[in-house]
Amino acid sequence: MGIVFGVGAVISMMSIGEGAKQEAIEQVKLLGTNNIRVKQLELTGDRKDEAAQSFSRGLTYDDAMLLRRRLSPGMLVAPVKFVDSDVRKGARQGVAKVVGTTPQYAEITSFDVSDGRFLTDLDLRDYKRVAVIGSEVADELFGFQDPVGQSVRIGQNDFSVVGVMEAKAIREGEGATVIKVRNINKDVYIPVTSAIRRFSWADDPFRVAEIAVRVPESDDLYPTSAAITDLLLQAHNDAVDFEVMVPEELLAQARRTQRLFTIVMGSIAGIALLVGGIGIMNIMLANVSERTREIGIRRAIGATRRDILFQFLIETVMICLIGGALGIGFGFGLAAVITAYAKWKTAFSMSSVIIAVGTSVTIGLIFGLFPARRAADLDPVQALRFE
Amino acid sequence: MLIHIEDLTRTYQMGSSEVRALRGVDLDIDTGEFAAIVGRSGSGKSTLMHLLGCLDRPTRGRYLLAGTPVESLEDVPLSKIRNERIGFVFQSFNLIAQHNVLENVELPMIYGGVPADERRERALRILDRVGLADKTQHRPSELSGGECQRVAIARAIAVEPPLVLADEPTGNLDSSTGESIMQLFDDLHRQGTTILLVTHSSEVADRANRIIEMHDGSVLRDTGGNGSSNGHGGA
Repeated sequence: MGIVFGVGAVISMMSIGEGAKQEAIEQVKLLGTNNIRVKQLELTGDRKDEAAQSFSRGLTYDDAMLLRRRLSPGMLVAPVKFVDSDVRKGARQGVAKVVGTTPQYAEITSFDVSDGRFLTDLDLRDYKRVAVIGSEVADELFGFQDPVGQSVRIGQNDFSVVGVMEAKAIREGEGATVIKVRNINKDVYIPVTSAIRRFSWADDPFRVAEIAVRVPESDDLYPTSAAITDLLLQAHNDAVDFEVMVPEELLAQARRTQRLFTIVMGSIAGIALLVGGIGIMNIMLANVSERTREIGIRRAIGATRRDILFQFLIETVMICLIGGALGIGFGFGLAAVITAYAKWKTAFSMSSVIIAVGTSVTIGLIFGLFPARRAADLDPVQALRFE
Repeated sequence: MLIHIEDLTRTYQMGSSEVRALRGVDLDIDTGEFAAIVGRSGSGKSTLMHLLGCLDRPTRGRYLLAGTPVESLEDVPLSKIRNERIGFVFQSFNLIAQHNVLENVELPMIYGGVPADERRERALRILDRVGLADKTQHRPSELSGGECQRVAIARAIAVEPPLVLADEPTGNLDSSTGESIMQLFDDLHRQGTTILLVTHSSEVADRANRIIEMHDGSVLRDTGGNGSSNGHGGA
């Protein structure tokens, strides 16, 4: 039983670990591994009062411009302003997120148009009413028609569709445990300046939810994020109402967590296997005892010590393999249950199966050796007399 | 001379005291003899049989089996001798319960490395000879005592060994069944197999043509089929 549990624990733990690792990698790839996200922090309580006293306006479009001016030229900076508005085409209303941003955004997020074009500086300069829609929005509002050149209604205004974004594979928000990402296929991008000018009923129109930054080399990540923090603290009069996130860091953190998890679970599994192994050994010792007579008979008809040793060793390994097979089934079953309830993603990993089988066999050999030797070393005469 | 032993001795420790199970026995047994070894419990007859059957090693002395000294052989060659040159039949049959009749008879041949078809063929032939051709798939628990002993005999002779050792083979059987078993031994003897039989029963002993009586670890009396215990063979 211990073997079953031990192997099962190993399998499920490795599956969870594998799933988390894969997911983290995907999420980070989505955000870009050389990217920094500066996010608006929602403050509460004392912190909020402090920030108010500093007259900080929170994260704003001006901050984005500041960063663009002050960071080195190789850096790409794009503000991300969410606009609370619906998107319609005729009678159809789409589920979409309207995002005001700049041309750099496409490059920062490695997210390009499949049709038409993305935003340009001209669009921003002239506060143009142009939109680039996500693939799912295009499907929803336009079906098989080509959206480029047509218009959509955002809020009280008509916007001209100038481009359609490529389709990206996304894991929906509820499955993500590491980094939450919205479904960008449902985004509609408009010039941030148009967003500021035309959708300005919510508090400060210049407020942005995020600023996305891309650095050319991963070595620049930490120095740049430090620089950003300094610049913004200064601009915000030391109010800490923003957060500078380096996804790389999150990934490293996720990896560290997974490693820790693996070690802990591994230890538990190891102990379970040890217990199981000792159990097997005791069972086999009792088995050998019960079959003492039989061993004597076999020796009498010509079995060598080695024949007896192998016989019992193989029997032990077989038992362990069966336990291991059950453990594998149990482990995958457990992983599937966890996926269903906790919504953690788990992934099947071939290496875990190999390790499980190998472990079973090894445990069988190690803990079976002692009983098998006992059996082999029995004196045939004594064994035959045994009742 | 099939069996030649000189000064064969077996002593072992029982707690703090030393037990002399066999004290320097000299014995010659020729090929084709049918000898009965008799004596009370503790006379050393079982010890002698175990030593002759290569199940045990002597503390001292020599044992030549068909001219080969076996007293100092290693486990592997000794096991080979037990496998190919000696067949055992025990009082309590000693069949393996989890295997059926056919598998039991094949077992020595499995250890001897005999290929599967030859094994099967020999086993079936032997079982037919002892009259159990129709019960090859039965388990020992489904057989009567006499049938079990037949299976045991079949197992012992499947490899056609020159020497068969039997320890009280009819001890657990009623007289009529015992009689049919003894007939099998007679058959075997007629075919040239050397048979050594350990027994309490004088009736059984009388079936043999030589009686060796043990007492207290030594040979007390030997009717000597081809010579007495002090003789050196003879016609």
